[in-house]
Amino acid sequence: MIQLQNIEKVYRTDTVETLAVNGINLNVAKGEFLSIMGPSGCGKSTLLNIMGLLDEPSSGSVSIDGQDTSRFKDRQLAHFRNEKLGFIFQSYHLINDLQVLDNVELPLLYRNASSTERRRLSEEALAKVGLSNRMKHFPSQLSGGQRQRVAIARAIVGRPQIILADEPTGNLDSAMGNEIMDILMSLNEKEGTTIVMVTHDEHMAGKTHRLVRLFDGSQVQ
Amino acid sequence: MLKHLFKLIWNKRKQNVLFLSEILVSFAVIFAVMSMLVNYYLNYSKPSGIEYERVWSVSYRNPLKTENRDSLSLFYENIRRALKAMPQVREVTYSSANFPYSGSVSTTGFSYKGNNLNPINTYMVEDDYQKVLGMKLVEGRWFNSDQDRLNAVKPMVINTSLKRAMFGDDAAAGKTVQADDEKERWKIIGVVEDVKADGDYRPTGPAFYRKIDTASFSWLGNLLIKVGPDADAAFESKMSKLLSSMMQNTDLEIRHMDEMRDSKNGETIIPVIIFMTVAGFLIFNVALGLFGVLWYNISQRRAEIGLRMAIGASSGSISGQLVSESLLLASLSLVVGTFFAIQFPLLSVFNVPAGVYLIALLLSILFIYLLVIFCAFYPGRQAAAIHPAIALHEE
Repeated sequence: MIQLQNIEKVYRTDTVETLAVNGINLNVAKGEFLSIMGPSGCGKSTLLNIMGLLDEPSSGSVSIDGQDTSRFKDRQLAHFRNEKLGFIFQSYHLINDLQVLDNVELPLLYRNASSTERRRLSEEALAKVGLSNRMKHFPSQLSGGQRQRVAIARAIVGRPQIILADEPTGNLDSAMGNEIMDILMSLNEKEGTTIVMVTHDEHMAGKTHRLVRLFDGSQVQ
Repeated sequence: MLKHLFKLIWNKRKQNVLFLSEILVSFAVIFAVMSMLVNYYLNYSKPSGIEYERVWSVSYRNPLKTENRDSLSLFYENIRRALKAMPQVREVTYSSANFPYSGSVSTTGFSYKGNNLNPINTYMVEDDYQKVLGMKLVEGRWFNSDQDRLNAVKPMVINTSLKRAMFGDDAAAGKTVQADDEKERWKIIGVVEDVKADGDYRPTGPAFYRKIDTASFSWLGNLLIKVGPDADAAFESKMSKLLSSMMQNTDLEIRHMDEMRDSKNGETIIPVIIFMTVAGFLIFNVALGLFGVLWYNISQRRAEIGLRMAIGASSGSISGQLVSESLLLASLSLVVGTFFAIQFPLLSVFNVPAGVYLIALLLSILFIYLLVIFCAFYPGRQAAAIHPAIALHEE
């Protein structure tokens, strides 16, 4: 589903050159639940951003669902992200000025879906994460776990084939973290969604199909 | 997307108060400037109604002590003849003090068939007044002593504005009118084009012309003289000497009508330039303010912009969204502004025609939208250049 070939990412300033990701080759199979672990600053999030087409590698290629993304223009990238990928972030990244339902609808806005269709799909997504009764709430009125569930609903509302989660349980206590993990595992098992998750938590990583460890930008496991 | 933007704007209404206020204040200033400019432009684009070039005015104080009409008439006819005898002089006429560009005003009220027309400019003129000023007849004829003498009813010439106010599109020449509150009747013998007596930028209004009689010479104090192209400074000096010799113990002042017109135009346009400069400075500051507010908004929304890009927004749609949001916000202010602005034509404020306010309103709305697009464009482009991976990582 995702093929990374010899990915390198170098950050350059006038005086310093930092190699964030160094020669990563990784294949993620369709329906796989992969976790990426490693110490802070080892390049986990950078690698996830490259997989999610949010960042370009300095060298190497990224293929998703059989398509080489290196020649995609801005519009194609945006369209591809919208159709194929769902993102979950550690800090949720909800828009505080929008109600839960409107937050979940966001990806569908860029698909020109009708408002009826948007509402139906958003309600379905919120039902899957158990937040049907919080649709009219604002993010500030929700707990951390509820906010992350809204973020998951937003990630799945467009029915993407791949979900990329950057430390989705990082800001939550273990009980909340387990709840979120259960939702992700359910999505993976019941709907066959491919999930790549960056985590610091060995316990959470242990629940996934495969674990990749990074150290100083290189894959060590 | 529009509904989404409305929700976003509504939910952030407290943060948007500054932006909304700035737009409302700008709109008020622009509407005032536009109303003024449109009004002056529409007046400017109308014909002046006279030929002011090579027309000189001579103001004097009647030097004769006598009240005898014949003596007065003879004295002033002699002056007229002496002036006309000069080769550079084409036409000569006596006039009341309120000739065009003089700055003097003589108005009266006139109630006709229950229609109260007030104020109406009233001019005391002679047969040659029309020739001296090159006034254009629209209907009927100008005064002619030989013909007018035959009429039992006193003749009157009116201008187009008065004709329209009294008779609409019907012909006026030949009609006899009587003011509701006056016994005297007047026969309209002709209609002339409106004359912009206060300069090119000022509006015309209803006016009528009545004929000077011999008794008027005791208080008249103005001569209007049409001169030829060969009338130079030497001739002016010669004419001044001639008049001084004929009208002793009086103060004479010769003025050129084109210079008087320039002076009247200056009286109008200089305050406008000052007002426009102040308004321009204000708008410049508002534009900087808008630019700052939008720039600040974008810096506060980097994570949101990053998120939108992550979930499918292209750079173009981010830029478009921010410009659209600004335009929608501006529209909210414009709705409020338009509500107040529309009161001006409805209440006929400052006696300015409703059309002027409506054109000014449309131009002001257009100006505000262009200003907002201009101010939002660059911040919008900067927002589109935000790298989603960096923006999402920042929070």
